[in-house]
Amino acid sequence: MSTGSVEVVYRGIFQKTLAKNICRGVVFAAKKEGKIGTAFGRYSDSPERNGIPAKQFAVVSDTHDELQEHLARYEPDNNDVTIACDDTLCKGIESWAWYGLQPINKLLKKGGTLLVTSFQSPNKLINFIHRKGEPYNLALIRAQASFSGLWVYKDDHTDARLLGALAKVAPHIVGIDAICEVIEEQWKDDLKVISARKSFDATKSQPVSAEQGNEEVPFSFEKPGWKTMEEGLVIRGISAEKQVVAGRDGGYVPTRNATFKKYSTRTMRPVINFDTCTKCTLCWLNCPDTCFDITPDGLYDANMDACCGCGVCEAVCPVADCVTMVNEEAFDDNASQWEMWVKDKKGYETWMTEKISDQPARTHGFHHVGQYAEEATNESA
Amino acid sequence: MSDVIEESLEDYIKTQVLEPWKGPKNVPEQEYFTSGHRTCQGCESAQIMKLMAKAAGPRTVILGSTGCMYVANTTYYSTPWVVPWMHTQLGSAGSAAVGTAAGLKVQMRKGKMAKEPINVIVFCGDGGGADMGLSAISAALQHTHYNLLILMYDNESYANTDIQVSGSSPWGANSTFSPPGKARRIMNRRWKKNMAGMMAAGHPDCKYVATVCTSAPMEAMNSVRKALSIGGPTFIHSLDPCPKGWDYDPMFSHEIGELAIETGIWPLYEIEEGKITMYGKSRRILRGQLKRKPVADYLMRQGRFAHFIDEDIEYFQGKIDEMWEKWLIPGVIPIAAPA
Repeated sequence: MSTGSVEVVYRGIFQKTLAKNICRGVVFAAKKEGKIGTAFGRYSDSPERNGIPAKQFAVVSDTHDELQEHLARYEPDNNDVTIACDDTLCKGIESWAWYGLQPINKLLKKGGTLLVTSFQSPNKLINFIHRKGEPYNLALIRAQASFSGLWVYKDDHTDARLLGALAKVAPHIVGIDAICEVIEEQWKDDLKVISARKSFDATKSQPVSAEQGNEEVPFSFEKPGWKTMEEGLVIRGISAEKQVVAGRDGGYVPTRNATFKKYSTRTMRPVINFDTCTKCTLCWLNCPDTCFDITPDGLYDANMDACCGCGVCEAVCPVADCVTMVNEEAFDDNASQWEMWVKDKKGYETWMTEKISDQPARTHGFHHVGQYAEEATNESA
Repeated sequence: MSDVIEESLEDYIKTQVLEPWKGPKNVPEQEYFTSGHRTCQGCESAQIMKLMAKAAGPRTVILGSTGCMYVANTTYYSTPWVVPWMHTQLGSAGSAAVGTAAGLKVQMRKGKMAKEPINVIVFCGDGGGADMGLSAISAALQHTHYNLLILMYDNESYANTDIQVSGSSPWGANSTFSPPGKARRIMNRRWKKNMAGMMAAGHPDCKYVATVCTSAPMEAMNSVRKALSIGGPTFIHSLDPCPKGWDYDPMFSHEIGELAIETGIWPLYEIEEGKITMYGKSRRILRGQLKRKPVADYLMRQGRFAHFIDEDIEYFQGKIDEMWEKWLIPGVIPIAAPA
């Protein structure tokens, strides 16, 4: 008599099919073992937006009644396993306004396992992940985050590998044999079965203590109750006045939405070379997220609370290498680059040069069916 | 009350005088649609909201029908709007604009509000505008005694509900309702609806109709300013590249819009009191100063056209060539020019 649940946290649209495949796989495998399961996306994440963190769940029970009992909760909050399909999600997720920033391990039960797709070291990830206050385990799949488009799935076996790893860290939910059987049945691909088995064999989890992790308190705000909401669904607008920020007199920092900041959407961030900036305004004018603060000296400082990492600023900047998109993993905080530059220009140059030297390929953009298979064949040839 | 009634109608149809901004350095810093909206990375519809609100300024009421720019901007008690904003139903962008403009006028006439010109803007998506809201928009464009601007942000599909085909979707594009298959490659066989041209041609009293694109941000803002200054009901059709539904890397949002203009697929023009002017790169194309890029440059950058074979690209190119070579005004009046 037991129920187990798996939470899959992923990047909206880019990993929609990946998350669906994982949850479907869990449910079908549970059935093979004579259990009953169901998978569902979180209503509030729909409609999904590119990059914005979203969740799907798979719940498995021994009996129908147990499953019903579990599903009566709005959102499973005591999960055996949380799967983060992209390691930058470890910095916390803000999928919709009423959460503020939610630590990636928030809905994981004590002693549960956080399964992450990453090339980073476990210790580096633990520095990103908020301190849980309870011990849990961390397991890694060595892979780059698998991003597809809306129409075409990048079938790089990440789904099979995560399912194999899941069977290792939570055998009480689904076993590896059932998983392999389902992969064979659903995808009719022996290679995927091998990927799942290999991943099962290779996956090791390590304990994370209650005290380990990022000490930062994730941002939150006062939520209105049913009785404090205003009639007619009135939402208070944002102030038209600029923000008063110390050291920013003469510049312009717009007041921003305090209940949705969007930075957890980011997988890349712009690094700006203030020495070569010509103040042409194009990044500021073309940023769909209004993330550029105007500094007192007329430069444009990308506000890291508001930037969602689309990369339009890099694309429109007319100066070579003035704006460079860098993998979000390379950064520990949302500090202002301009302030860093003002304080120590030489030091900033060193910092910037180091950051922009590491530019992993952008993986999004699989346009036609079979494109990934073609690329993989070409690479191995 | 008699003195109130005797006041001339002109008092109430005054508009704000919004001069065009010359160059991005003259654009004010204030934002009226700020950060913190739940749109996709690289969302150009959010960008046109930002530009539109900036161009209109603080004394503005904005309304919006259901769509991405409603759902992403105001769900869960959270909003990036600075100026007053109100939601209206999918097909009722036009009626909401007329109602609001009329309401403001009545409030002012009754002395409940200070008399001042307030901009009324309603936005709708291509689904809410070109499909469901067409009749209400048409009706609004005949209410010449109200000042209002209808801005249709066109991401060429029902993008909010995960990309279903709309009357504004381009020929052949992949969508949830038109997935290419083995037996039939091209599922959406309708050519895109020509909204701006239709609005201009069919509403002789409408003083201003324009097409804009976020990739020409200064022109887009000045177009909004002109529409609000000229008075009466006005219409702007904005093409917004959509990384989610068009399937490209969000960083190319600006570039894809530029390509739409440079390939001639999206002609930029304004129709002011019946006089048609092409502007920006479209004018240079018309004058022969700029050669149109092949449409493949635009189409092949997007996953929604990935199933196209040479034949499809040729068909698309042929339609665009025809528009530029045979139509009286590209994208507006499909009458062969006299030889």
